[in-house]
Amino acid sequence: MRVVHYLNQFYAGIGAEEKAGIPLEARAGAVGPAKLLDQLLGEGARVVATLVCGDNYAVEHQQEVIASLVAKVREERADLFVAGPCFDAGRYGMAAGALCSAVHAELGIPVVTGMSEENPGADLYREALYIIDSGTSPAKMREVVGKMAALGKKLVNKAAVGLPAEEGYLRRGLLRDQLVEDTAGKRLVDMILAKVKGEPFESEMLPAQFPPVPMPPPVKDLSRAKVMLVTDGGLVPKGNPDKIEPRAATRWGCYSIEGRSDLRGEDYEISHGGYDPRFVQEDPDRLVPLDAARELEQSGVIGKLHHEFISTSGLSNPLSNTRRLGREIAEKVKKEGVDAVILTST
Amino acid sequence: MQLTLARHPIAELRFGASTYLDKTTLVIDREELGRLLLADGSLQEVRFEIVHPGESCRAGPVFDIVEPRAKEPGCSPDFPGVLGPPLTAGSGTTRVLAGAAVTVLSEKSTDESRGVTGRVLEMSGAPAEASPYSSLRHLVVVPRTRPGLAKHAIEKAYRLAGLRCAVHLARAALGQPPESTHPFEPVGPARKGREGIPRVAYVGQIFSRQRKPAVDEPVLYGLNTDGMLPVVLDPDEWLDGAILPSYHSSIGGAETYFYQNHPVILELYRRHHAGDLSFVGTVATVAGSDNFDRDRNCRAAANLVRWVLSAEAAVLTKYGGGVPHADLAETARLLEGYGIRTAVMVTDSSRDRRVESALLFNFPEVNAIVYNGGNGTRWTLPRAERIVTPSAEMAELLGGPIELGAANIIGVTNQQGASRLRGVVY
Amino acid sequence: MQITSAMPIAKMVGSNRVVLGNGIVHVTGDASLGPEEEKELRRKLVQKALEALKSAGEQ
Repeated sequence: MRVVHYLNQFYAGIGAEEKAGIPLEARAGAVGPAKLLDQLLGEGARVVATLVCGDNYAVEHQQEVIASLVAKVREERADLFVAGPCFDAGRYGMAAGALCSAVHAELGIPVVTGMSEENPGADLYREALYIIDSGTSPAKMREVVGKMAALGKKLVNKAAVGLPAEEGYLRRGLLRDQLVEDTAGKRLVDMILAKVKGEPFESEMLPAQFPPVPMPPPVKDLSRAKVMLVTDGGLVPKGNPDKIEPRAATRWGCYSIEGRSDLRGEDYEISHGGYDPRFVQEDPDRLVPLDAARELEQSGVIGKLHHEFISTSGLSNPLSNTRRLGREIAEKVKKEGVDAVILTST
Repeated sequence: MQLTLARHPIAELRFGASTYLDKTTLVIDREELGRLLLADGSLQEVRFEIVHPGESCRAGPVFDIVEPRAKEPGCSPDFPGVLGPPLTAGSGTTRVLAGAAVTVLSEKSTDESRGVTGRVLEMSGAPAEASPYSSLRHLVVVPRTRPGLAKHAIEKAYRLAGLRCAVHLARAALGQPPESTHPFEPVGPARKGREGIPRVAYVGQIFSRQRKPAVDEPVLYGLNTDGMLPVVLDPDEWLDGAILPSYHSSIGGAETYFYQNHPVILELYRRHHAGDLSFVGTVATVAGSDNFDRDRNCRAAANLVRWVLSAEAAVLTKYGGGVPHADLAETARLLEGYGIRTAVMVTDSSRDRRVESALLFNFPEVNAIVYNGGNGTRWTLPRAERIVTPSAEMAELLGGPIELGAANIIGVTNQQGASRLRGVVY
Repeated sequence: MQITSAMPIAKMVGSNRVVLGNGIVHVTGDASLGPEEEKELRRKLVQKALEALKSAGEQ
């Protein structure tokens, strides 16, 4: 197993802050903590090169350093790339994260790094990478490098990687399936007994967290406002021309209601699946209330009803899609000079 | 209630000239069984196949799996409200052919969320290791319904066929000594002698109003649950035929077999018998159709747990997909507000495998969660030597190799508590 | 603003200005009403939606 190790100027023994501006350089074999890594990797693995860069240089010339480093790692025919451990050094952690991500993306080889939970690089990269929790104390170097070595070997050998607590990496916030001994029913009863007796228990999932959405100011004068209808109930024109997927939709569509004061079931279909579509298929106004909105426009309650409605499907749609969909739809809405949106959701 | 299960373990199923139980072999007269099932005019034809564990065999689409069980004469009826009058289930002795199962197929998958193949019974390989059904001996019932029947009439035909078959087979055990008997100590909120031990209730959703039930769809004592409020039931009622799965899919799967062998109820009983808790009873409830309905049902269920069962803790399970998640969490939140500790069982439905996308609720007090997985697991099923299925097209499709998600292998992602596939955060 | 029947979900994701819809399967309708009554229900619901747009927000 050929291993390349990345260190900053300090851990490579070149100097402290005063040397933070040094450019990327390569040393044959193992230097500094890389020697420890080499030792702890044991037989069959060797650190063939140590790449060193000043923390400031790495931040200020990130693209160049990434490109150079990836080329060098490729040249060395590395099977594994290791960076750090960075402890709580922020620039170092950010660089390690960026370099590991790039190496993994471009060369497809396993990568491991280490830093403390509070390191800014941790938040940014914990989902994409295996980051060994190094804590903040460099006195733990040996222990931390040992864990990095162990995890690195598992990744190279494509062995099963255990849970964060077992392997020592920062919780990545990802999900995977695992066949276990006990049925869900048994685990449920075990858990309630511990909870009701005040004993410690480990929940298999943690409640969700959503950042607050800032509230736009109210519409001052509706009679001059342009209002638009949007839905996530998957109402699309017959034939679903934009091929909006019923679940985990990656697309949204914009459909003309110019001159119409009513939606007719024969013109539309529903691409969703999470609700019984019969009622909306019969009369799509039950989902996109065009008739009511048009009346309110005609009677002057609202200034103008925008001539299109937007539709997508909200069913089983992960945040990784819906964040983008929401952003794109919001951009379109703004572009059209719409003042207010009525979003109807099933 | 006083329920006793009389167990007759089955090691082999085979066809023969008459139906009888010979120690651990159940011999089945398929002609007689066929005549019994065809008395239902909705069925035009029916075929039977026997499937044993370890075989390279696949059957599907599966409509339901039922454990062969029959009540001793003079006790409560078999599947009350469906096969007999709606008398209270759960008293007296029930004969159980343990290790056997009646597996009813449907001509087309009735499970909208599971695609064309519906749920499939897989008897060997990696998927089989993850399902409790692969270690059972199955009598597979392959029905053909009369053309022109409405969907709910077709589903009713399948349902009745499975139940009738299961009862008929288990009746072979009547008059024979069981290998063991399992009495359930009567439980309930008023039982004495359990002071100082946690009083625990089970709240189980049995239907989701994301869709309306068919008018004659039997779920609770033959009722379709439309308009019902949550109800207190003795646990033995769940175990002894009062509840059947809705025709509408439970995202992870729910079968009659795991109402009969309800993993949560049986575990609560086990811990009750061990003196670790006092099982005070159960509430059967429904996931609402809208906000009002949800608020109404959740409060009613929580009130029953609080005032009628006087529970100190409750475990909750759901039926259906995403929206019932919200009912489950809301009921748990209300209970926590009453000082009743809760633990809930949910099923992973995140599509991008990120924890952020995983849960649909965010109540800090609902912090004891059992997380059923399966969404991230797909298997490539190899060519099977034997395919049991109602049509040539389905045989072609299921013959393999075919790639299926874990939720398409029946039993793997079961929402009644039988699943061992956990969604793990890493 | 948002019209939905799944209030807990809307609350959880932080949707501002949410008005309760009339059921998952017909959020701005009601299949059990006659056509005139249903239109009236829809009119009222959309008017409520407009009120929400003018409000400082809260569900």
